[in-house]
Amino acid sequence: MSDFSFARVKAVLWKDLLELKKNNGMIWSMLALPAVIVLVPLGIVRTYVANPSDPNFRAIALYYDFTVDTDNAARFLVDKVLADWFVLYLMMPVFVPILISSHAVSGEKEKRTLEPLLSSPVTPLELVIGKSLASLIPSVSVCLLAFFFLCVGVDLVAWPLAHDFILPNLMWTFGVFVIAPLFAFFGNGVAVLISARVGDSRLAQQLAGLFVLPLVGLAAGQFGGVLKAGPEYYALIGGIVLVLDLAIVFSARRLFDRERLMSRWG
Amino acid sequence: MSIVVEGLEKRFGERVAVTGLTFEVKAGEVFGLLGPNGAGKTTTVRMLTGLLAPTRGKGTVCGIELGRASDGTALRKRVGLLTEQPGLYERLSARENLTFFMRLHEVDEKAAWKRTQGYLERFGLAGREDEPVGGFSKGMRQKLAIVRTLVHEPEVIFLDEPTSGLDPQSARTVRDAVAELAAEGRTLVLCSHNLAEVERLCTRVAVVKSHLRTVAALTKLRREGLALEVHVEGEAAALLPALASLPFAPAAHHEGNKLKVMLASQAQAPDVVAALVAAGARIHSVARAARPLEEAYLELVREEDEA
Repeated sequence: MSDFSFARVKAVLWKDLLELKKNNGMIWSMLALPAVIVLVPLGIVRTYVANPSDPNFRAIALYYDFTVDTDNAARFLVDKVLADWFVLYLMMPVFVPILISSHAVSGEKEKRTLEPLLSSPVTPLELVIGKSLASLIPSVSVCLLAFFFLCVGVDLVAWPLAHDFILPNLMWTFGVFVIAPLFAFFGNGVAVLISARVGDSRLAQQLAGLFVLPLVGLAAGQFGGVLKAGPEYYALIGGIVLVLDLAIVFSARRLFDRERLMSRWG
Repeated sequence: MSIVVEGLEKRFGERVAVTGLTFEVKAGEVFGLLGPNGAGKTTTVRMLTGLLAPTRGKGTVCGIELGRASDGTALRKRVGLLTEQPGLYERLSARENLTFFMRLHEVDEKAAWKRTQGYLERFGLAGREDEPVGGFSKGMRQKLAIVRTLVHEPEVIFLDEPTSGLDPQSARTVRDAVAELAAEGRTLVLCSHNLAEVERLCTRVAVVKSHLRTVAALTKLRREGLALEVHVEGEAAALLPALASLPFAPAAHHEGNKLKVMLASQAQAPDVVAALVAAGARIHSVARAARPLEEAYLELVREEDEA
């Protein structure tokens, strides 16, 4: 630990962010999912707001909760879709760092830049921290930006029905500022660990991408009415991901070893 | 001494990559590391630059003990490694590539750029600093990689195939730069298959093929075997079968009316001359010649395989 240098971490971060900035393909890929995550719920909310007295909405609301006040079915469904949507929003902080990190680590092997890099004074720990920050900073920024647009969009679209600001609410604020960074850390960690073992960035991306699937399963459970989303539910998911994050830190220390990387990929 | 190693060995699991490395490199010396592909040269360089820890043996580079994880960073700050592949970030400009390594080495960027500008000018890269490396030719990339190796003013520089893939003019620029660096008093370790380059630049060489075959001064290596230069009348090639029929079947090269015969000892010379005369050769002159490095190298690499 005596060798640790923030200046070298900063150098790795600077280089990786610069490479990201110059990679238009990566930037567009990074922005595609957030655009979907923001636009789809706006469309759904718009449907409920456009015709709030639609009898079909009452039937749907009763399916989810038979105690619901059916006069306010549209408002119930708007709140319900926003609560459920958060699990899909969480795909973003997992997916975006996977996209960046798998490229940043495996990319060094593909471009044959790993040996010159490891022959510099940078330590594996500095490298992992620098690369992780270069993945986490843009990922979390994209998530915050998407949240901002989602709030503005939902409030504009839902105003005629709610006559109030629906977002940000407590659950979303806690989720975006506490749970989403934990998920981003998880996505980044998984991508870094997989990248340390496989030599191809696309393979690393595909393997790491499998870790998004449990979230899709949760979303399916919520929209199917099997799982009930709410603050406690998301806090539990956050707690599980925190434990996984700690396991990743432990594994990364063992896997990200200069000699191991050199003899395998150098 | 810049480099001192004793009994250095590297294993990957059960496989021995290289073993029995014992040699010293003096400060300011240009030292060649020779060996066929897969002989363990790159593994040796990686051990000497702190990228791999030796499995056995000990050594110091710039006075820093090898294999001590805590000293790895200190060692890498004092050595420079030009890898076989330039390994540059193609989306970044030459300036950004060099700045990145200056920052990793934590050198004063202003002073480093002042020095680096000189190297860029020497290699014909001045004025191209802000272009993306992706648009550079192979030769330009290799030269930029050499400049990157020098940004932190290393005491010991390891060059793995520095002129590989370069056109003759660029290769000459690189060789001149290596010679200049040596003249500045830096220690250089050159891994190369290009024996003419090694002959031109190095004072001593180590020949490695899984283990150390020899460490010697180039002059000594060339002297160790005797070469006989025979001028004959007519084409020398016609006389090769006569040499092949000798019990010790010496290696021989021919060029026009000139025949160069490699001998293991002086005692073989009369037999060679007698065999040539018996084959009808009209000999104009017989002289002792320096053995080319290539012959000495091939003999060393072949010797133990045959044994």
